[in-house]
Amino acid sequence: MRLTRRTRLAGVAMIAAASLTLAACGGGSDSEGGSGGGSGDNVITVYGTNPQNPLIPTATNEVGGGDPLNNLFSGLTAYNSDGSTVNEVAESIEPNDDKTLWTVKLKPWKFTDGTDVTAESFVKAWNYGANAANKQLNNYFFYPIEGTDDNGNTLDDATEISGLKVIDPTSFTIKLKKPESDFPLRLGYSAYFPVPDAAYDSSGKITKAYGERPIGNGPYQLTKSGWERNKQIAMEPNPDYTGSHKPENKGLVFKFYAGGGTDAAYTDVQSNNLDVLDQVPPSALKTFEKDSKINAFNEAGSNFSSFTIPERLKHFSGEEGQLRRAAISMAINRKLITEKIFNNTRTPATDFTSPVLDGWTKDVPGNEVLQYNADEAKKKWAEADAISKWDGSFQLAFNNDGAGNKEFADAVTNQISTVLGIDSSPKPYPTFDELRKEVTDRTIKTAFRTGWQADYPSMLNYLGPIYATKAGSNDGDYSNKQFDNLISEASSAEGDARYDLISQAQTLLLTDLPAVPLWYQNATAATSKDLKGFEFNWQQKPDYYKLTK
Amino acid sequence: MSDIRPGQERYVAPIDETPLRAIDAVNVDAVPENQWKEAWKRLRTSVLFWLATGILLVIAAMIFFPSLFTGADPKSADLMNSFSPPSDGHPFGYTQQGADVWARTVHGARASVAVGVLTTIIVAVLGIITGAIAGFYGGIVDTLISRFSDIFFSIPLLLACIVVISVLNNTFPERGFWGSVFVVVAALSLFAWPQITRQMRGAVLEIKNLEFVDAATAIGASKMKNLRRHIVPNALAPVIVASTISLGVFIVAESSLSFLGLGLPANVVSWGNDISAAQSQVRSGQNLQVMFVPAAALAITVLGFILLGEAVREALDPKARKK
Amino acid sequence: MWWYVGKRLLQTIPVFLGATLILFILLKLRPGDPILNLAGNKPVSQEVRDALAAQYHLDDPLFVQWLQFAKNAITLNFGETFAGQPVFDLIKQTFPVTVVLAVMALAIDAILGITLGTIAGLRRNGWFDSSALVVSLLLLSVPIFVVGFVMQLVFGVKLGWVEPTVGPDWNIGKLLLPAIVLAIANFAYTIRLTRTSVAENLTADHVRTARAKGLSNGLVVRRHVLRNSLVPVVTYIGINLGSLMAGAIITETIFNIPGIGNAAYTAIQKGETSTVVAIVTFMVLVYVLMSLLVDLIYAVLDPRIRYV
Repeated sequence: MRLTRRTRLAGVAMIAAASLTLAACGGGSDSEGGSGGGSGDNVITVYGTNPQNPLIPTATNEVGGGDPLNNLFSGLTAYNSDGSTVNEVAESIEPNDDKTLWTVKLKPWKFTDGTDVTAESFVKAWNYGANAANKQLNNYFFYPIEGTDDNGNTLDDATEISGLKVIDPTSFTIKLKKPESDFPLRLGYSAYFPVPDAAYDSSGKITKAYGERPIGNGPYQLTKSGWERNKQIAMEPNPDYTGSHKPENKGLVFKFYAGGGTDAAYTDVQSNNLDVLDQVPPSALKTFEKDSKINAFNEAGSNFSSFTIPERLKHFSGEEGQLRRAAISMAINRKLITEKIFNNTRTPATDFTSPVLDGWTKDVPGNEVLQYNADEAKKKWAEADAISKWDGSFQLAFNNDGAGNKEFADAVTNQISTVLGIDSSPKPYPTFDELRKEVTDRTIKTAFRTGWQADYPSMLNYLGPIYATKAGSNDGDYSNKQFDNLISEASSAEGDARYDLISQAQTLLLTDLPAVPLWYQNATAATSKDLKGFEFNWQQKPDYYKLTK
Repeated sequence: MSDIRPGQERYVAPIDETPLRAIDAVNVDAVPENQWKEAWKRLRTSVLFWLATGILLVIAAMIFFPSLFTGADPKSADLMNSFSPPSDGHPFGYTQQGADVWARTVHGARASVAVGVLTTIIVAVLGIITGAIAGFYGGIVDTLISRFSDIFFSIPLLLACIVVISVLNNTFPERGFWGSVFVVVAALSLFAWPQITRQMRGAVLEIKNLEFVDAATAIGASKMKNLRRHIVPNALAPVIVASTISLGVFIVAESSLSFLGLGLPANVVSWGNDISAAQSQVRSGQNLQVMFVPAAALAITVLGFILLGEAVREALDPKARKK
Repeated sequence: MWWYVGKRLLQTIPVFLGATLILFILLKLRPGDPILNLAGNKPVSQEVRDALAAQYHLDDPLFVQWLQFAKNAITLNFGETFAGQPVFDLIKQTFPVTVVLAVMALAIDAILGITLGTIAGLRRNGWFDSSALVVSLLLLSVPIFVVGFVMQLVFGVKLGWVEPTVGPDWNIGKLLLPAIVLAIANFAYTIRLTRTSVAENLTADHVRTARAKGLSNGLVVRRHVLRNSLVPVVTYIGINLGSLMAGAIITETIFNIPGIGNAAYTAIQKGETSTVVAIVTFMVLVYVLMSLLVDLIYAVLDPRIRYV
């Protein structure tokens, strides 16, 4: 998933000791106060925004709808806190020898309307999502499956994905275009959730009513009031749920904030009107870890930030481009920026992935190019000047609707300008889509901010979709045959061999710098004093089912 | 000076206001003085005027000769100095980016005052002309002008500016200092002029029914002359006051737009940019001088213009004329 | 007079058409891509893109879109937001809270502004006048987002006098602090305007006459000074309701008020032209009604103005 507007901010693990002390004192005494969540009734209020799409798994692609959906549905697999997966609705998911054909067997499982979750429940939902006529926005997730195009839509306007075959009510097979050893990692993502028969009307379309009041198979179900537009989504535990995320609380309320205002939400946590805010606003970054009115969380996270200098920009192609990119990268003092601008809620990057992933190492060969080194930067810039003299200004485009972007763009361009002695300035775009449109059209004439938040916890998800030749999110049109080969070899490899191939691929990237890595964004959160059980999962979200108070 | 004491029950005009002496002293050969010349005469003796001029001269000096006030470069920023306390030659310390707060405030005057002054001038000129015509002629002319201004004024300023500025930014991607100022000025002016139109129209409506206008008409003044000589000068007072306050509002609006990411671009040093950048310090309550210094500069500038407006208004107000 | 009211109401039609047309043009010119927004900036296939464009009429010629909108608006059918909610529902849900907030701000502004402005005007250049000038200037020159944050922090979080945020279950008590914050932006203006107008009227002929007749000072101020001074002030305050509602964008965000300002801003950011235009249509209506009211109040305040 692309970095959303709701930019996450954050640094180093520091769980407030206060929460531990409180827990040690035992419950009982902390049942007072708190109007919003109704403290004591063990219903947890959580920061949210009004969903922008119907609550249909294949239609929801932003956090406002995504967070509720993840609690209302269960997929074939479920994610553990550390990003590993455990079979949820699936009894087993077995590959053939070359890992292109996967056979799925299901456990007995029910939707909350009492009907069974069958192989058909999955296959029909995926077919629906991949069929362009249904205008579903998560089609992209189906692209690895045979019978879809690069966008994940069915080929030739077919209504079904040819790679999916139902064997019997409790088993089906998935045929992939290419071998993929960690395919089950994808299957916990919301696009792959099942949908009950009750969702479809007689013509086979998912009804509007279902999109407003979905029937799921997950740990929670909607309460009677359910989704109240621009107000909240309320859910209660699903009594028949038998999976691994059994709720320990009496329900969740996603409380919406107008315009996504995390500042207002932070104030609500301080005054005990909200239990969980999973991103701390910039105005509180400096103080939130010392704030006695809240419990603070600040840990390394899975968001990767960078900026991209496309090959086609003047002075940035070939050997000259390689030298200039390296010079710019070494002109940036990442540590100083994370400290002064982000109050250590970001960690300087040493590669292109994220430290929360399996197989991550801080010692990728060649990553000294990400270290601040003014002398080396000047030297490389001079070498590039020898090839062709620099002229003009180095601008860095960013979207101003994301918190903290302006500050970092200012800081980065200031450093570039000071170290390299060139004119350099930030270039703001008011909204994310205005920036992305020019990036997608390839009309942008400057470097631009990029970032990545993985859809599923695999290092390959940080590399293939962004830097492989003609990949969907290859904004800089980077192309390197050697890199492509390493990535495709790594997809089918396992264990240390796989990590070694990934490391080699990253070394190539460090030479070419198709994107200039900046930092990993920490996961930060503020919770009310009486909330217990908060822990970030790999997606920088709490495991909602574990929250209690 | 009118001398009204609270609780004063009866009013007897002071002797110097009674016309008897004046008539005694009248110089029959005197040429009637030009209204503007008279106004200038009164301005010269106004304390308010000189106070305002003093403030505005200092601001003007900041705009044209910033080096008189600071030696530091407002754009050079070193993160090592982030929020460093005041030191020698840097009286207010450093911003988060490590730039000199005082230098940025001094250099920021140019863009901020340009936005305020240019917008005010455009808005005032448009508003005074349209408002005067609408109020004076009435009828179909009034209806046309009023409805036309309604179209622009009914679209809320802030919302309209958000859209207009993103359109203009896209149309003129490469623009220098004046281009950037122009974009903000154009957006603000386009939707702000009807406010002055309404004000002017209201004032003209009120004045055109006053006796002295009837008198002028009775002695044969033409409609146009009436409008120019008698009505507009008399209606200007509230408009001048409104304009000088708008000037402040426009400078602040630029900062609100910066808050939403649509004000002057970051490479233009302006008070609005600095105030909105310092906004995140409010919660922690630390380093508040980073916001306080540009905000104070803004307040003092607005004060200067308001005082000037007040002085000019008093000088122009025929009813306040006393020898 | 009823003839006048009828005429004015008829005249709102061209204002409505003009304002919506301008918005359509501006939003069409706005850079960005609504469909990219809709798709969460992920790759979208051409088929899906075409289908979505058709659904929201994004590819129709501008003028056709506008005519379609105007036609449907008559029956209050404004289509659906990208999130699938009927736009009219969204407006019904978000409009009341913003109207209440803006009216409260207006009342605070009018009461405080006119009172203080009158006192300042009567004692021109006295200490009260000077301090009113300084205080109102300070409020004017600090942007609303700063005032909002500070007041929320001090009165809501630190002192706990009021709820720091409003939320969907709003009531007048909760809206008091945001209304004060919103009023502050206009407050300086109202004080200055009243003061000037009062000061000016104090020297007017009819006031002298009144004094000469021997009327008491209080009576002169109430009957002759204030009534005449209020004309420009009423103009300013009255037509401001609309801009107060739009100015509520920032206040609404700070205090989490699910109002129309925010709904409009979000829709602009997402390029949802029809939603933006529908919302602004309602703001235009409010504006038109208010300015009609202002014109009628003129006639009451100033008997010389007559409407035929």
